[in-house]
Amino acid sequence: MTISLTSPRPRMQDTSRRDLTAAWRHIDLVLVFSTLAVAVLGIVMVFSATKAKGAPGIADTTFLKRELVFMGVGAVLMTALALFDYQRVANWVWPIYGGALVLLVLVVSPAGQRVNGSQAWFGFGAFQMQPAEFAKIAVILALAAVMAGYKGDVDLRRLLVLLVLAGVPIGLILLQPDLGMVLIFVFVLMGMLLVGGIRVRYIVLLTLLGVAGVWGALNSNVLKDYQKERLTAFVQDRSNGASALETKNLSPDEAAQKGKATYNVDQSLNAIGAGGVSGQGYGEGKQTQLGFVPEQQTDFIFTAVAEELGFVGAATLLGLYALIMWRVWRAATLSRDLFGALLCVGVLSFLMFQVFENAGMTMQIMPVTGIPLPLMSYGGSSIITTFIAIGLVLNVGMRRFR
Amino acid sequence: MESESQRLRLSILGVVMLSLFGALFARLWYLQVMTATQFEQQTTSNAVRTVYTEAPRGRILDRWGKVIVDNRTSLVVTVNPHELDLTNRRPEVLLRLATELTRAGVPTKVSMLEDRLNDKQFNPLQPIPVAIDVPEALEITLKERSEEFPSIDVKRESVRNYPNQPSTIAAHVVGYTGRVSEEELKDAQGTEGAPKTIPKPYQPDSEIGKTGVERVYESKLRGTPGVCKLEVDAKNKPVRTTECTPPVPGDDLVLTIDLELQKNLETNLALQLFAARGSPPKDGVPVRAPAGSAVALNPQNGQILAMASYPTYDPAEFVNGISAARFKQISSGGGSDNPLINRAIAGQYAPGSTFKLVTATAALNQGLINGSTVIVDGGSFKFGELTFKNAGGASNGPVSMAKALTVSSDVFFYTLGGQYWRERDRWGSGIQQQAALYGFNAPTGVPLPGEAGGFVLTPESKKKLNEDNPEAFPYGTWNPGDTVQLAIGQNVVVATPIQMANAYATFSQRGTRYKPQILAKTVKPGTTNVFDPANDVEIVQPEVAQQIPIPENVFGPIFTGLSGVPEKALGGTAGEAFAGWDLKAWPIAGKTGTAQVDDKADTSWFVAYGPAPAPQVVAVAVLEESGFGAEAAAPVVRKLLEPIAGQVPPPPFPVFPPGTDLSALVPSQGQPGAAPATVPTTAAGRRPTR
Repeated sequence: MTISLTSPRPRMQDTSRRDLTAAWRHIDLVLVFSTLAVAVLGIVMVFSATKAKGAPGIADTTFLKRELVFMGVGAVLMTALALFDYQRVANWVWPIYGGALVLLVLVVSPAGQRVNGSQAWFGFGAFQMQPAEFAKIAVILALAAVMAGYKGDVDLRRLLVLLVLAGVPIGLILLQPDLGMVLIFVFVLMGMLLVGGIRVRYIVLLTLLGVAGVWGALNSNVLKDYQKERLTAFVQDRSNGASALETKNLSPDEAAQKGKATYNVDQSLNAIGAGGVSGQGYGEGKQTQLGFVPEQQTDFIFTAVAEELGFVGAATLLGLYALIMWRVWRAATLSRDLFGALLCVGVLSFLMFQVFENAGMTMQIMPVTGIPLPLMSYGGSSIITTFIAIGLVLNVGMRRFR
Repeated sequence: MESESQRLRLSILGVVMLSLFGALFARLWYLQVMTATQFEQQTTSNAVRTVYTEAPRGRILDRWGKVIVDNRTSLVVTVNPHELDLTNRRPEVLLRLATELTRAGVPTKVSMLEDRLNDKQFNPLQPIPVAIDVPEALEITLKERSEEFPSIDVKRESVRNYPNQPSTIAAHVVGYTGRVSEEELKDAQGTEGAPKTIPKPYQPDSEIGKTGVERVYESKLRGTPGVCKLEVDAKNKPVRTTECTPPVPGDDLVLTIDLELQKNLETNLALQLFAARGSPPKDGVPVRAPAGSAVALNPQNGQILAMASYPTYDPAEFVNGISAARFKQISSGGGSDNPLINRAIAGQYAPGSTFKLVTATAALNQGLINGSTVIVDGGSFKFGELTFKNAGGASNGPVSMAKALTVSSDVFFYTLGGQYWRERDRWGSGIQQQAALYGFNAPTGVPLPGEAGGFVLTPESKKKLNEDNPEAFPYGTWNPGDTVQLAIGQNVVVATPIQMANAYATFSQRGTRYKPQILAKTVKPGTTNVFDPANDVEIVQPEVAQQIPIPENVFGPIFTGLSGVPEKALGGTAGEAFAGWDLKAWPIAGKTGTAQVDDKADTSWFVAYGPAPAPQVVAVAVLEESGFGAEAAAPVVRKLLEPIAGQVPPPPFPVFPPGTDLSALVPSQGQPGAAPATVPTTAAGRRPTR
C-alpha cells in the first residue's frame, strides 16, 4: 500500500481485454503454490489418518482416492474461475444467490440427508454434497455486489438490507441445524461489513444484539423447549466429542476418570504434545494410527499433522495458511474496485475463521465445533468451495491493473 | 481501493489476522516445544493379537482344465450383533442400514436383517454377512459415515463363483460351501481343552466345504490362512504388524469329470424326464417322472466322467450362507423330490432286469447251467402254487443265456431262481455272493459324501432287518418267491446307480473292479495348463477294489447277450432306442431294467458300455416312476454316448427345441411332478391326462 495503485493507468484495455495472457502475466504464483502445497499435504495426511481403516495389513485407499478426485475437481475449478474477468460474475450474482437459497431450502426438505443430526447433505450415489459450503461463495458474491454499490457508506437502512441478505441463508442453515456453518457466515458478514464501510457504532450495536439474542433465545420462551434442546444438544454433541459413539470405545476406567465432554480434546492435546518438535514420523503417530483421535480425517486432521510431523510440520502448515491469507489480503488491497476487494475479504474471512476455529479447537483454545480445516479436512464440498474461492481471488489479483 | 477509511479497515483486518495466527503459533509452540515432554511417555496399552486372513479356496476344474468352480471377489456387508447391541442403537442402526442397502439396489427390510442376525447358523459374536455383492458406492457410504453405522463393516471377500451356464452344472459333484459350524470347527481343530494342530486353522467365520467335492477334498481346496501378529490398541484396532505370513491359496482340483459330457448328461436326463411326464398312465398309475440320475465312468480306471442327479439345485445360492428359510424351502420340497440329494450315489432302487448280470454270472460261474443251456420261455413260470409272468406277458420260446439277456426273458431267470431255491443246499446264496463280488450291498467307496450301500438280502439279513425295524420290513421269513424275485432284481434287492455302473464296468474288464474316482489330480493354484506335469501336486492313481473271477465261459455268453440288447434284429430290448446306431463301428453292450415299485410307475433303468469289447465308457441312467427302461432311460445313455462314439456331431448345449420354457429346467419347488409348461417335442400330443 505504499504506492498509490488507484491512480489512472494508461489505457490499454483494447488490447488486454482480448489478450487473455495479459491477465495471466499477473497471476499470483505465491498464492497458487501455497494453495497447492496445502492441498498436497491434505492428501498425504488424509491417507495417513485413514489407511488403518482397511483390513489388517492392507492400507485403505478409499479415502485417498476420493480425496484425489476432490482435489482434482477443485484445482480445475480454480483455474476455470480465474479465466474470465470477475466483473462478469457480477451479472450472475443473483441467479447464483437464488440457486444457493433453493438448495438450502431443498436440503432441509425430505430431499436432503441427515448425517450426525444435521440435515445438511444431498446424496448422489457414492458422493454427498453440502450446499451450505457452496452457499458461502454465493453469499460473499451477493454481499460484495450490493456493498460495492454502497461505495463504502453503510448506513442503518443499508445495513438492514445486508443483514437480510446474509440472514436468509443463515436462517436456513440454522434449520439443519449446523451451528459451525452459521458461525462461518457470521464471521464472513462481519469481515465484509468492516471493510465495506459499516459505521463503528453499528459494529458495537450488532455485537451487543448478537450476544443478547443468543442469551435471550436460550433463556426465554421464544424457542420451544424441543428446539432449544436440539440447539443445545447439538452444541453439546459437538463439544462432547465428534459423536456419542466414540465414548463406547473408552475403556471403563478412562470414561470414569475423564468426563466424556473433554475426551476428544484430551486425546487431541495428547497427540499434538506427543508430536514434539519433529513429530513421530509420517504414518507413525500412535494416537492417529490407533484411532484415539476422533474424526481424524475431517475435523481433527490438524492433530494428525501435529502428531506425525511435529511442530515443524504443523507450523509449516500454519505458515502456508498465513501465506495464503496474506496473498488474499494483498489481492484485496490491490483490487481495482470495491467489488473485487470485498470478494477477497469475504474469502479471507471464512478461511481465517475456519483455520483459527479448527486448529484452535484441537489445541483447546476454541470450543469444539464441526468446522473443516480448508483443503486439509476430508470432504469434497469444502475442498471444492475453497478452490473456487481461491480462484476468484486469483481472478481479482490478475486483473488489478484494469 | 479509493478511500483512506477502507485502507484503514483492511489494515485492521490484517492485524486481526496476524494476531489470530500469532495465537495459533504460540499455542502450538507451547504444546509441542515447551511442554512436549509431559506428553511423551503417554503410551497406550498395546496388546499383540493374531489375525488370520482367509486364503482363496482352490478352483475345481474338469479333466481338461475347464473351470467348474472358481472364486470372485464380493463386497460383503457384515453386522456384528454383539457390538451392535453394545451401542444400544440397534433398531435405529438397522433401519438406517436397510435404507442404505435398499437405496444401493439391494432391497432390504429391517425384519430381513433381524432374521439374518438371529439365524442360528451364525455365531452372534462374529460378524454376520447380511448382504453380498453390494455396489462400491455403498462401501464408501458406510465407511465415510462409519459413526452412523457402528458394528457394520464392508469387506472384500473371496467367494465361490460358478461361471458355467447354468450355474447348476455339476452341483451334486462339486457341492457347496458355507460358514464352518461349531461341530465342524471342533472336528477340525479340537476343543480348547484338547486342541488339534492342523496346518490350515479355521476361524469361526471361515468357509468350509459342506457337501460334494468341496467337502471331501476340503483339506486340499482350503488355502492356508495368512497369519499376522498385530499390535492392537485398547479398542482392538490394529496399530502395527510385527510379523506376517501371507495367505496361500488352496490347490486346484482337476476332476475326472468331463464338463461337456456333464452338460450333455444333465440336459438329456432332464429332457427325458420331462418327456416321460408326457406319457399316459401305466396300469392306472400316473407317470410322474419326478427324479432321476445318471453316471458315466471309465471302466478301465474307475474315473467318473459325468454324474447327474435331477432335480438339481444352484450352489450359487449358498454363497455367503443361504438363509435358513430358503434352505428349508429347498430341502423340504418333499423327501423324494429333495434336490440336494445326489441320487447317483444315494438313490437306492430295485434294479430290475439290470440285475440279471449278477444272476447270469452266478449261475454260469457255479455251473447251474452253461452257455448253451436252453430253457423254454412260455411266458410264465410256475413255481409251486405261484405263477411268475414275463413283463408284458410275452413268450420268447426256447432261449439260451445270451438270448435271455438280449430279450430280457424273465422266465429264464425265474427258472434259475427256482433252481437256486430247490438246490439251495448245493448253491447256497450264490446270487447274493456274486452280487457282493460285483460291489453290491456295500458302498463303492466313491469319494463323495452320502453314498448309500443298497442291499441284497439273504435269508439271514432279511430276518435281521425285520427284527431291527419291523415297521419298515414287516416280513422276516425268506420265501421261495424271494429267490425267484431276486433272480430278476426285484423285492429283496436295491442298488444305487453308481453300483450298477461299477458292476457293468467290472464285467467289461473281465473282473477288475475299480474304486470309482472323482479326482484326477491336484495342481498348483491358478494352473492354466493341467497337462503340464510341472503343475502337478498330487496325482490320483486308479485303485483296484477287487479282482473277481469271470472266466471266458462265463464272460462269452453274457457278453453276447448284452451286445444283442441294442440290436433290433435280435429282438434286443433297447433295439428301438438305438435304432440307426452303427453297432459295427461302435459296438455297445447293455441291459434295460424296469423295476416295479408298489403304487408307483416303474423305475426305468438302462446301463451300457462301449465300444465293446474294450470299452472307454460305462453309463447308467435311472429314471424314477418313468416306465420301461428301454423307453425312458435308454435314450439318456444313447444321447450321452453319441458324441463319444462320434455317431452324430455332439449336440450344442443346451439342446432345447425352440420355444421351450427354460424355467422348467429349474427344479420346481413345492409342486412335485407337475408337468412343465412346455414339453419337448417327442412328447407332443401325449400330454398327461391327469
